[in-house]
Order: sequence, then C-alpha cells, then structure tokens
Amino acid sequence: MTPNDNRLAAIFHHGAADASSALAKWLGRPATLSVERLETLPIEEAAAVMGSSETLICGCAMRIDGAIGGLLLLAADDDAGLSLADTLLERPSGTSTSWGDLERSAVVETANIVGCAYLNAICAALDSAGADGILPSPPVFLRDFPESVMEAVLMEQPVLSDIVLLARTEFRIDGTPIGCGLVFLPDAAGVAALLPTARDPGDST
Amino acid sequence: MTSADVPPTVARAGDSVAIGQIGIAKGSGVLRTFVGSCVGLVLHVRSQRAAGLAHVMLPASNGRGTPPGKYADTAVAETLRLLREAVGESTLACTAKLVGGATMFGFQSGTPIGEQNVLALEQILGDLGIPITGRICGGRHGRRLAVDVITGTVTVETAGQGTETLA
Repeated sequence: MTPNDNRLAAIFHHGAADASSALAKWLGRPATLSVERLETLPIEEAAAVMGSSETLICGCAMRIDGAIGGLLLLAADDDAGLSLADTLLERPSGTSTSWGDLERSAVVETANIVGCAYLNAICAALDSAGADGILPSPPVFLRDFPESVMEAVLMEQPVLSDIVLLARTEFRIDGTPIGCGLVFLPDAAGVAALLPTARDPGDST
Repeated sequence: MTSADVPPTVARAGDSVAIGQIGIAKGSGVLRTFVGSCVGLVLHVRSQRAAGLAHVMLPASNGRGTPPGKYADTAVAETLRLLREAVGESTLACTAKLVGGATMFGFQSGTPIGEQNVLALEQILGDLGIPITGRICGGRHGRRLAVDVITGTVTVETAGQGTETLA
C-alpha cells in the first residue's frame, strides 16, 4: 500500500466512523459502517460491483456537489431495505412487505442522515477542502436491477473516465451485516481533492 | 475465430454483454444485457440468423473510440464490421432495435444522457439506411433484455413493470 493509499483509507475510515455514530443514533441501536472496498476500477468492473441479478435492489441516490463531488448511493437487497424500514419505524422485522410512502421515506431519511455524516467527515479529514463542505441533492429513491443502478451511477459523472475510484461501506446492526451499504463514486474534482498527489485515475498517459 | 482470439470487447451467445462491450452470435443462442441510461443496440441479419448487441454508454466517441461498443458512432460501425465478419459477406441487410436510455436519477440538467444516446443511434442508423423496427426507450427504470439470435426477437423486462417483446 502506498502512502497515498494509506491516506485515502484513513480518510474513508474517518467517514465511516462518523457515519456509524449517526446510524446508531438514528436507529437507537448499535450500528457500524465499515469500509469494504476502496479501489480504482475499470468502468466495466465498477458497473458490476452490486452483483448481477435479476432480483431488484432498492436504494437512494444523492448527487453531491462541493469540496468532494460525486454520487452517493445507499443500496440494499430488497428484503434488507424493508427490514431496515421496519427497524426505523419501530415495527417487528417482516412487517413491511412492499414499498409504500412510509417505507420509502424511512430509507430516504437514512440515506440523508448517514450519507451526509459520512461525507462531512471525509471533507473534514481533507486538509484543503474541509472548509468548503458538501452540498447534497435530495435523495432519490429507486428500485431496480443492480447493474442498471450502477450503470446510472457511473453515467452521472460529468466527465466519464475509463477508470473510476469507488468506495463501498457495509452496514452492521448489532454486529450483523444487513445487506445494506453506501457506495460513493467521486467525480473528477472529488478524486482530485481526495488524491491531490495522484494522477486522474482516468488518465492513462 | 477461436475463443482464444475473441477480444475482451466482444461477447458471445450466452454471455452477458458488459458495459461498452459488443456481443455477436450466429446460428442460434441468446445475447443478454442489463441497461439503465445506456442503450442496447440490436442489429439482426434475419437471412443469416446472426445478431449483434452493443451496450452503448455515450453518444459520441469524439476521437476516443475504445472500446468501440462504448460510443454510439463507433458501436454501430464495429457491430456491423463484426456481423460482416461473422456471416462472411461484405454487405448486410439488417434491422435494428433499441432498448434503454432511461433517466433513472434526473440529477443532470439539459438533455439526459440516455436520451442523447438514443438520438445519436437513431441519427446514425438513419444515415446508414438501417431501419429501426422496434424500440423501448426512455422512462425511469432499468431494463433486462435478451436477443434471440435466430428470430431477432428481443424480450425486454423493465424493472418492476413487466415484460414486453419486440418481434
């Protein structure tokens, strides 16, 4: 691992720690986010990180502007998303069987709270960009094929590189993975802020 | 061409055609992919039972063009070239179908990239005189599509909204 990699990992772990606190407070239960993947990937591989399945996933997407721009996605298996909604709505797990307004609202609010805590902490950990903060869009709820979702995440980049930086965290509640996590794909300006001494990962020259 | 010669930018029947890739098959089989704002470009040569499926991501290569399946302009040219190679003829009588081009998030201002992809492909195919015999484009959801190589029929499942067929 290079010093650049170590620095980047430390920044994202800092983000995950603050997001863990926010999630635990929001749920009222012990909860953590851990960084599972932090890597540069060819775009074809990035499109497949949610897996290839005919089963729909649910999620909330937020466009991020500011010190580190990009797209943040809270994504979950359908059952895990409904279970998360039950937890937030203080109902027994298994109560929610479809996505009504209430269930959607619960997950959207989770994306807002946890995602902003995550990215604000990442901004604060950056020496040069912390003061600028982030400006997230309202989260958009979606339920779709995993490959289609990741494809759309990639296509939101203003300048599409052949290689992208991707960070993926996983949620654990009461120590157990729940099939839910955050994917952050910084745009070119975000990559420049996160990797000030690195080349654009899309620059193959 | 043996499987060892197949470049990574080309998929075969039974494979899922990845983003920016082109799938080519002749004789029988199914070509599949998932699309969101990308567009699945299907070219079918009925007389030769051959089909190509390009997973097009962006409307114009602007001089880049690698992998060729990634951009509308290079994807059409390369899919036609691979089809000619597969059937062993220099001229093709083919038809086209388009699937995808959704706007899943709506964060972008201006014409959404999915719509730009569809418009670019329509323009290029029109210039080449290739008829578009079916399309399921736009909307806000991703789609799973499967191309029957023999008939050229495209089965399209839109996420959460059921299945349609383009004959």
